[in-house]
Amino acid sequence: MQGNGFKIGVIVAFLALTLYYLYPTIIWNLEQKQMAELSDTELAEYKSENMEKLQSLRENILSLGLDLQGGMHVTLEVGTPQLIVELAGQNKDEQLEDVVRVARERADANETDFVDEMLAEFEARDPNARLSRYYRSEADDITRRSTNEEIVAYLKTQRDAALDRAIEIIRTRVDRFGVTEPSIVKQGESRIVVELPGVDDEERVRGLLKGTARLEFRTGPDAQDFANFRNRAIEFYNVEADTSDSLSLNAGPSNELVNLMSFVQYPYIFGYASAEDTAAVMDLVTAPDIVRMLPRNTELLWAAYPLRGQEGPDQFALYGVHTEAELTGEVIESASIQFDPTTNAPEVAMGMNNDGARTWSRVTGANIGKPIAIVLDDYVVSYPNVETKISGGNSTITGLDGVEEAEDLVNILMSGALPAPLQIIEERTVGATLGAESIQAGLQSVLFGLVVVAIFMIVYYRAGGAVADLALLLNIIFILGILAGFHATLTLPGMAGIVLTIGMAVDANVLIFDRIREEQRGGKTMRAAISSGYANAMSAIIDANVTTGFVAIILMSFGVGPIKGFAVTLLAGIVCSLFSAIVITRVVIDYLTRNNADAISFG
Amino acid sequence: MRWFETPNIDFVGKRKAAYTISAILFIASLGAIFTKGLQYGIDFRGGKEFVYKFDQPVNTTDIRDMLTDPLGSTPEVKLFGSETEILIRTDNESSTDEVQTAIETAFAQNLQGNGFEDEKSDSIGPRFAEDLKSAAAQSVIYAIVIIFIYILIRFRKWTFSAGAVTALLHDVVITLGIFTILNDLVPFSLLIDQNIIAAFLTIVGYSLNDTVVVFDRIRENSIVHKGMEYAPMVNKSLNDTLSRTVITSLTTLFVVLVLFIFGGEVLKGLSFALIIGVVLGTYSSLFVASPLVLELDKRAK
Repeated sequence: MQGNGFKIGVIVAFLALTLYYLYPTIIWNLEQKQMAELSDTELAEYKSENMEKLQSLRENILSLGLDLQGGMHVTLEVGTPQLIVELAGQNKDEQLEDVVRVARERADANETDFVDEMLAEFEARDPNARLSRYYRSEADDITRRSTNEEIVAYLKTQRDAALDRAIEIIRTRVDRFGVTEPSIVKQGESRIVVELPGVDDEERVRGLLKGTARLEFRTGPDAQDFANFRNRAIEFYNVEADTSDSLSLNAGPSNELVNLMSFVQYPYIFGYASAEDTAAVMDLVTAPDIVRMLPRNTELLWAAYPLRGQEGPDQFALYGVHTEAELTGEVIESASIQFDPTTNAPEVAMGMNNDGARTWSRVTGANIGKPIAIVLDDYVVSYPNVETKISGGNSTITGLDGVEEAEDLVNILMSGALPAPLQIIEERTVGATLGAESIQAGLQSVLFGLVVVAIFMIVYYRAGGAVADLALLLNIIFILGILAGFHATLTLPGMAGIVLTIGMAVDANVLIFDRIREEQRGGKTMRAAISSGYANAMSAIIDANVTTGFVAIILMSFGVGPIKGFAVTLLAGIVCSLFSAIVITRVVIDYLTRNNADAISFG
Repeated sequence: MRWFETPNIDFVGKRKAAYTISAILFIASLGAIFTKGLQYGIDFRGGKEFVYKFDQPVNTTDIRDMLTDPLGSTPEVKLFGSETEILIRTDNESSTDEVQTAIETAFAQNLQGNGFEDEKSDSIGPRFAEDLKSAAAQSVIYAIVIIFIYILIRFRKWTFSAGAVTALLHDVVITLGIFTILNDLVPFSLLIDQNIIAAFLTIVGYSLNDTVVVFDRIRENSIVHKGMEYAPMVNKSLNDTLSRTVITSLTTLFVVLVLFIFGGEVLKGLSFALIIGVVLGTYSSLFVASPLVLELDKRAK
């Protein structure tokens, strides 16, 4: 019994920690159940009232993998070879294309870096040839005299930048797709993994992810015309609402558009709406009657990002811009962050080629004091005001809200300059129905596995078995707690890992109990047998679990998605089962035998 | 209840018979693997897989026939857990959109009045599949090397390492062989994919678990019973731990059976691999790993 106070303390602390991590999950599930009973309007009201609470719960729950909740998992690859050829611009020739082709095959076959292979192939053909003949860029300090090593470093930077741009583009697109908790991460040098829970509109997502970005500069409509249009549109819904509601008892003024949007006086912004209302607003403003009211050559486009520095739900602006682009992204040669020397505010410097600069000078000259929209894939990224006529093609975009916005803008401006060809190389979609069935199957397996093993243990080891079962139950709670605490994801193979752990977790207790029986056979008293049973079984338990642990760690580093989930639960299972089988059962057995050592039986 | 309380089974004496059985299984497995080739799923060879759920039961042969033309090659079609769910596997290299449209058009034309929806789709590019395959192979090799080294450090005898690793290879190769042979014969998919690799590594861990417990006892007995000859001591160690080996194998077998029956179609392959693995792992730690240590020890002397 001595020293068990400490052990009990550890057990209680561990259990408390586990329950603390599982608490949001439990509450979340209760909330979900409650919310399922509400009607649509009640639900919307409840959601907006408890938004913060729900949000914080959502962030802390044990999240389910895509295979359980349904959704899409897509791996995209930036086509480095195409990018390298395009970077050469007009300098590219057949030899370069041939080198790229050979290098690509070799890089695939040997799993080496494509750019390194390209240099090797290029130099193998002519040791004295210089890559600088293809890549010259004043902006990046690449001259005729640059060494091949410098060029390789330059190409690698370009590739990394292309990947970052691609991620930025995908993020802006996915954000607008209305997915809860999308995940977009870089993998290796040229891959992006996108996970979209709950999405099964595969065709749309594919188009969204793959299509090259279309960057445009568009002018805005006449401020007065647009303001008039806005007033008429709002008025239109006033009238509509009145007539349709005339029969209802609730005859107060109601305007669908006003309910969904907030309005400001700025002449180029139609209004603001929260992300969840954008679709409903779109339905209203694209009604034929409204479209007819629009000023000539004008359309309404949403902002790519929510209003910055705003409390409460994200608000997106709906802008009025011209339908025709004045310039497209290809004319951009450079974009970089700089800081205002006096205020130190971040700005973006943008350079255009000669053709672009000429048009730009005309467009800016004609629009002094008015804004020009930077539009990416039909979403307005930025809508800066023109201060002066800009000749020479070098412009500065000021008034940005922090370095982050500046970085995003640079990425987007460059995306027009150098489209990174993206290819889907892996795609896995699970429908919500199959996901729900999988949850069901997983839960059933865990439950049945638990029951079968628990009964067997009691039948075989009697009281000892019951103690082991208690440890097993706590073990499963611990595993779930660890998963929630580490923000790991529960996948179907992960549930299989839990089921497997149930079978293997009793192993430590089987080892101990068998040893106790053996010690008893050797003539020891119960108390002595228990003591040496635990002591002597220890080395076997440690060895057996360490080896399985190694395997789990290897799996964790190799596997992706579901398999990683399997490895994580397996590893958590090993750690927990060691703890529960060795520490918890010992404490319980010590307690049961505190007065009479023979009070417990191991069958 | 007590099973195998003080057993006295002559494992070591029967090792020749066990070697014969193992050798036959091993060679048959290698034979199947080399003649048929490993049956890779799309994870490791690239391709596309779709699962559709229909309102009414469908016939896999009909589906195969109606899709052969639009897809340009005969797809693999299997039931997916029930009569109304089917899995289609094709090597068609067009975009997923195109393939999906082709399949759905064929359904709409040929199966009028039978509604359907897609439940699951996977599309793996050949280059990505190559990467996955080499990562999987690497992880299996790493696992085996690390285990060899760990046992070497823990038991300080290379014969233990060699015995354990041979038993692991024995288990993995025979499981692979069984998968290769049975793939066409069972109604569920036994193709080798990521899930199966996870199962293999688990088998490696499990089989080792059993083996290590016996080794541990050999080590202990060699200290306690110093005068004893090696062969009877190994046999005594196997018998000493037999009850535990059987009980743990049973509980694990219970749960993997539960997983196989209730875990759903997605986990069929994985749980099937685990069932075979548990059975083989138990067998190999009793009849392969420890007797092999004995054998190698004799040679070394």
